[in-house]
Amino acid sequence: MATVGTPLATKATRHGPLWSVLNLSGWIPLLVIAIAWELCARSGMVTAYMLPPLSVVLERIGSDAIEGSLGLQVAMTLYRSLLGFAIAALVGVVLGVGINRSRFMRWLFDPLISVGFPMPKIAFLPIVILWFGFHDLSKLTMIVFDAVFPVVTATVAATATVARELLWSARNLGANEGQVWREVVLPAAFPQIMTGLQVALPIALIVCIVTEMKMGGTGLGGAMMETSRFADSPGVFAGIVEIAVVGYVLVWIMSILRRKLLGWHPESQAVSNR
Amino acid sequence: MSTMSELISIDGVCHTYTPAHGREVLALDNVSLQVQRQEFVALLGPSGCGKSTLLYLIGGFLPVTQGSIRVDGKPVGGPGPDRGIVFQHFALFPWKTVRGNVLYGLEKMGLPRAEREERARTFIDMVGLSGFEESYPSQLSGGMKQRAAIARTLAIDPGILLMDEPFGALDAQTRGLMQAELLRIWRGSPKTVMFVTHDVHEAVYLARRIVVMSARPGRVKAVIEADLDRADPQLTKSRAFIDIVDEVWSLVREEAVRAERYRAE
Repeated sequence: MATVGTPLATKATRHGPLWSVLNLSGWIPLLVIAIAWELCARSGMVTAYMLPPLSVVLERIGSDAIEGSLGLQVAMTLYRSLLGFAIAALVGVVLGVGINRSRFMRWLFDPLISVGFPMPKIAFLPIVILWFGFHDLSKLTMIVFDAVFPVVTATVAATATVARELLWSARNLGANEGQVWREVVLPAAFPQIMTGLQVALPIALIVCIVTEMKMGGTGLGGAMMETSRFADSPGVFAGIVEIAVVGYVLVWIMSILRRKLLGWHPESQAVSNR
Repeated sequence: MSTMSELISIDGVCHTYTPAHGREVLALDNVSLQVQRQEFVALLGPSGCGKSTLLYLIGGFLPVTQGSIRVDGKPVGGPGPDRGIVFQHFALFPWKTVRGNVLYGLEKMGLPRAEREERARTFIDMVGLSGFEESYPSQLSGGMKQRAAIARTLAIDPGILLMDEPFGALDAQTRGLMQAELLRIWRGSPKTVMFVTHDVHEAVYLARRIVVMSARPGRVKAVIEADLDRADPQLTKSRAFIDIVDEVWSLVREEAVRAERYRAE
């Protein structure tokens, strides 16, 4: 009852997404690991080849950034991941809605999804290389193929469980079937579809890095394999840190998007009431 | 047999359904009922007696497979804005504000923008939600959600108002308040109301006629007239009111006991 009538806007500014980043106590464990890394590397217990100090790795990231190669690698990896993710999102939602609406689609795709979802899609990599070669097309194919599953399953589950009273209300108020789908089923299913997308995005990044490592070309994964080939261990660790940061930022952006798009959802109010 | 003033005419309606795991269940057995224009009728019975099912059949949400339901002389097809419905769990669109919810049906009616806004304001005001136009349902209490849902339904001006245990999810105080509010609104613009409830007191307080249904399969067990002065603030303490409650309660009790046994089996 305390929340009744409180405008959403004031809550968002009070405990907005920025606040969660500036919540420094959450960063302490990472800081501890960073210090431990630095001390361990400088203690002489391990060689600089096995574990270069964090400061050296950060220096390397800095020089790569200034030189421009880092920006290019990140841009290529982001381009592939996000394009693959976008295609997977679109295909996944369309397929999920289709499976829900059509008995034939359900008959066709249900077993494929049941078998395909738990299976490691990377097993298809050799054949995808044979079909599409080493360039972007095969990388994108792998990303879409892997990232589409959580989106499809989330969409199917979400659209199938919309409360019948909501559909009935819309029809009662004069909506036709197309409007019921666009204006009721999809928005009602959106929180769960969004969860599927939030699972799919890191998958897209993971598969992108793996395919880059395997097939080379510009991109964070390829760059790491190259540094490894030259036994350039600060370069390898720099790659690991870069990938971690890119992944973290992507997931963080998705959670901001979620809160922006789902301001109406009880979960948003639960978070902001804390 | 129907006369001009009969708006809803239910004749020999049976309804069966098959649960996901189990045998076919007869929910309604040969139900016949005539409802007059602007009449307030309560459908009362133990849970599982099919009273909500009857409401969904009138609303056109479920198909009539046996018997007939006519509204204004025409057999009901699908759902339509001539028969507005209010559900127990409100069924508001949670991604729309109170105003957005009320506007939804008005948009479907194709009213010009200014008129839609004006109507939405009027009905939000009527149910006492002024100041909460931009609140989302998740920010409202149960009673306020139901007020919003009632405004949304009344805004499209349905001739018939179907209410499916609308106050069943509310606490006792809010329920009492909402019952009085509903009577006030109904007096202001009398509609034909079919009100499903399992609360005897609520049925007698609200409805001019109370249809008592039997435990599954649902049949019309008795129809009780409750011709009381509902403007009287002392109504619920009057002899006449208490007598009718007693009469209805004794009819319902038998059925509630049977329904209990049915569930235990």
